[in-house]
Amino acid sequence: MPTATSVNAGLARRRAAANLAATALAYAATAVVLVALASILVTLIGYGIGGLSLHTLITDTAPAGGHGGLLNPIVGSVIQVGLATLLGTPIGLLAGIYLAEFGGRSPLASTVRFVSDMLLSAPSILVGLFVYLLLVAPFHHFSGFAGVVALAILVVPIVVRTTEDMLRLVPVAMREAAAALGAPRWRVVVQICLRAAQKGLLTGILLAVARIAGETAPLLFTSLGNLNWSLSLNREMASLPVTIYQYAGSPADDWVQLAWTAALLITAGVLFINIVARIGLRGQNRS
Amino acid sequence: MHSIQPHGISPAIDMQAAASPRTMIAIENLDFFYGQSQALKTINLDFPERQVTGMIGPSGCGKSTLLRVLNRMYDLYPGQRATGSVMLDGENIIDPSTDANRLRSRVGMVFQKPTPFPMSIADNIAFGVKLHERLSRADMNDRIEDALRRVALWDEVKDRLKSSAVALSGGQQQRLCIARTIATRPEVILLDEPTSALDPISTARVEELLDELKRDFTIAIVTHNLQQAARCADQVAFFFMGELVEVGSAGAMFTTPRQKRTQDYITGRFG
Amino acid sequence: MPDAPRHIVSSYEQELNQLRALMARMGGLVENQTALAIQAIIDHNAESAQAAMEQDPEVDALEREVESRAIKLLALRAPMAQDLREIVSALKVTSDLERIGDYAANVAKRSLRLGPTGNDISLGGLRSMGRLVQEGLRLAIDALGQNDAEKALDVWRSDKAVDEIYTAMFRELVTYMMEDPRNIGACTHLLFIAKNLERIGDHATNIAERVHYSVTGAMLPASRPRGSASPETPTP
Repeated sequence: MPTATSVNAGLARRRAAANLAATALAYAATAVVLVALASILVTLIGYGIGGLSLHTLITDTAPAGGHGGLLNPIVGSVIQVGLATLLGTPIGLLAGIYLAEFGGRSPLASTVRFVSDMLLSAPSILVGLFVYLLLVAPFHHFSGFAGVVALAILVVPIVVRTTEDMLRLVPVAMREAAAALGAPRWRVVVQICLRAAQKGLLTGILLAVARIAGETAPLLFTSLGNLNWSLSLNREMASLPVTIYQYAGSPADDWVQLAWTAALLITAGVLFINIVARIGLRGQNRS
Repeated sequence: MHSIQPHGISPAIDMQAAASPRTMIAIENLDFFYGQSQALKTINLDFPERQVTGMIGPSGCGKSTLLRVLNRMYDLYPGQRATGSVMLDGENIIDPSTDANRLRSRVGMVFQKPTPFPMSIADNIAFGVKLHERLSRADMNDRIEDALRRVALWDEVKDRLKSSAVALSGGQQQRLCIARTIATRPEVILLDEPTSALDPISTARVEELLDELKRDFTIAIVTHNLQQAARCADQVAFFFMGELVEVGSAGAMFTTPRQKRTQDYITGRFG
Repeated sequence: MPDAPRHIVSSYEQELNQLRALMARMGGLVENQTALAIQAIIDHNAESAQAAMEQDPEVDALEREVESRAIKLLALRAPMAQDLREIVSALKVTSDLERIGDYAANVAKRSLRLGPTGNDISLGGLRSMGRLVQEGLRLAIDALGQNDAEKALDVWRSDKAVDEIYTAMFRELVTYMMEDPRNIGACTHLLFIAKNLERIGDHATNIAERVHYSVTGAMLPASRPRGSASPETPTP
């Protein structure tokens, strides 16, 4: 007849075995993800590093075999991503503040939240088509400005979501403490809540930048891409993702090489922004 | 005593009444509702000037709710409403025509968990002051120093006034919050379980501070710690299920409570 | 407290009950000791006297036990209201009981020294005084055990009678001594015995006061009903 202790010992052994199995599965799954990520990086670096040189960074694109670089797509991407962020962030921030601080569970707030979340998950090519109909078709030409607007539309929902989430993380007690000193609502939001959430908000914006930096679809219908040097927002504008799209399928070896290099540049940039965002978020959690 | 004494009031009793402090806040027939549910039922309670009133009772008894009526904190949330009268210097606190922000400059509040703002120690104190007064830089520095000295924090932080308040210890943060509250020069200070997140030494410091502060301020403190109410309060009020069951001097409440519900609660016999 | 709900912390309830049990035991012991001592004088019973004196160390030990438990309760449980009053009262009652034990032992000791008194000295006064004191003490200890404020009030009021008998006895014994100086030795012992009984009555009254405070929270007035003026004060 088994004693109580021997039953418990059996139970403990089974639990230890289950624990080991679950841990092993978790590690295996992590390994799969890491291997995928590492192989992408290794492939990118392997193919892309060969084309990475000062010449590539300071020379415009050229016809196949013309020994061109990537200067105009890099500048175009920076301009479009930068302006889209400047345009989309304030709208996203204000809408996020409305949702977190003033809207509550009102019908309007619920609608805004729903629409924003829809936009967040909408295919980006739809955004491109929308802006095409709005800003390209009526004027009969593609423009960098249309690209900026398309990207800004993608920025807004990301910033809305992170802003609302980050503001909701600000303890109720801190708002009440500020109100208890006699601070009006707007001062509480601007001077206390936004300040308390600032690292989180910055992280959200950086994530939005990382997201739009790699977008190709919305730009195909808007800024189109430009093989020549141009800083005009009223004309077609080059960008790294569109350049990859155009070069990667080309039969010319030097274009394919440049596509790999452009992909490496975007990935490195996005990785860099993500790392910065994570460091920022860590600071936020600590405080 | 030259006044005529009707109804056979003995001079001794009359003298005592004359010596007892002025009432700072007088609550009459206060009812409070969270939406449909009534959280406070016909409360009548006076807060004597420059005394500590301790509010005790089990969780959900209404003591914190009452505290949040005194500075109209409930205003921040729709669906919460109060009826009755809560008089502070001839002004009904809960009357919507009373300006809540100005009221809060007269009735300050310190919360359960320390709530330092994400800014420097000096800015934490300046924040509240700037809401109500325009001070020159020198005057503001004096005000900050004075507030920090009063909570015995000055010597600990005087060399790092510009560094973040979040880096202070829990006890220091709570004293900073008290300093922030007194810097706006209120008449009444409300404390909602101010030491429940602090260790015994920090708690003792805060309690010592209350003793100091009651020279200048009328204090209302909600506490779950009966010993703390016994140590700090002059007057103790016991709440149970939204009612004020009994109010009396701390000495009387903790040795000879009149109501059985008070007795059962403070001796730990809740059935 | 029979009418109060139990403590949420049952170990606290247990400790309070243990304190109450100790008090009851000490009360019973002292009551018995007093009865033995009175019997020793009235019936010239040397065995009773011996028994009364032998109980003293146990009473002393109980006092120390009650004291240490009460202090521990005060320190560890931070009692409030009724509990606080009960424990503080126990601290004071235990020392009253210990004093009563001392007086009873002293009475017993003197009864041995006294030997058979001359037949001309009447012990009638002492007998009725002993009866009254014993009754008062019994009531006080009952009131303590039952937390009965009414009974305590009865004891507090009845101490007057003991005081009156004591005054009468004082005069009687002084008269005996003046009549025949050979009575002085015996009468002095009797006088001390009467004084000790009167003190036992006082302590019983003290116990009643503490019980009354412990139960109701109200202090009885400082001056209690007294018999005729203290006999020590010279009367013309």
